[in-house]
Amino acid sequence: MKLTHEKNGTELTVHLSGEMNTLTAPELSALLEKELDGVQNLTLDFTECDYVSSAGLRVLLATYKQMKAAKGNMELANVGEDFMDVLQNTGLDAVFGIF
Amino acid sequence: MTEEYSLRIPAKLEGMDLILAFVSLLLDNHGCAAKVRTKLRMAVEELYVNVTLYAYPSGDGWVEIRGNVENGMATFRLIDGGKPFDPLEKPDPDTLLSGEDREIGGLGIFMVKSMVDELEYEYSGGCNRLTLKKQISEQ
Repeated sequence: MKLTHEKNGTELTVHLSGEMNTLTAPELSALLEKELDGVQNLTLDFTECDYVSSAGLRVLLATYKQMKAAKGNMELANVGEDFMDVLQNTGLDAVFGIF
Repeated sequence: MTEEYSLRIPAKLEGMDLILAFVSLLLDNHGCAAKVRTKLRMAVEELYVNVTLYAYPSGDGWVEIRGNVENGMATFRLIDGGKPFDPLEKPDPDTLLSGEDREIGGLGIFMVKSMVDELEYEYSGGCNRLTLKKQISEQ
């Protein structure tokens, strides 16, 4: 998985590319651990990532909880069909902001 | 009966790429739709990761994947010689809870159940045997 990000004050956007699976999900955790401090609006862009396994969902859920606790927002952008299936199957489509 | 292919590797997390490559190659050889392939890869990933985490608490072990496609039905079997463990016994997570209340774990097997047509666990001959089946043509 390849990750690129842009930070603009309290806004952070991360673009994911490739598969977020058990082996690669920790890469997103590591990036967020470094960059999330002080961020109020987090956008995760899935334009180039349509494979998210449960390990990836765990990272997303943990990050969502962290953002909520800090009164911030997390949004998933450009979610593809396969990833949307996974979100719907797990009920997480009703939890995360998706657009 | 079409031929069954198999791959046996050490039960380590790092081996996941090999297992997923095996799944992809076999499915691609049978013209599997990309959407179905993604679901099968995810299902196998979840089950494989479970084996690497829980089957051999005291040390090294092996895991074998067997696969075949017959009459448009893909069958994959994951076999290990570790301690008996039925991942399908785990209760499904409550997917209606709000985000704050949702637990971080427990989603993997639930996802597998939603992604395949058939899923079976058996312990026999000293091995855990998980079999998953899915029709590979788009319905």
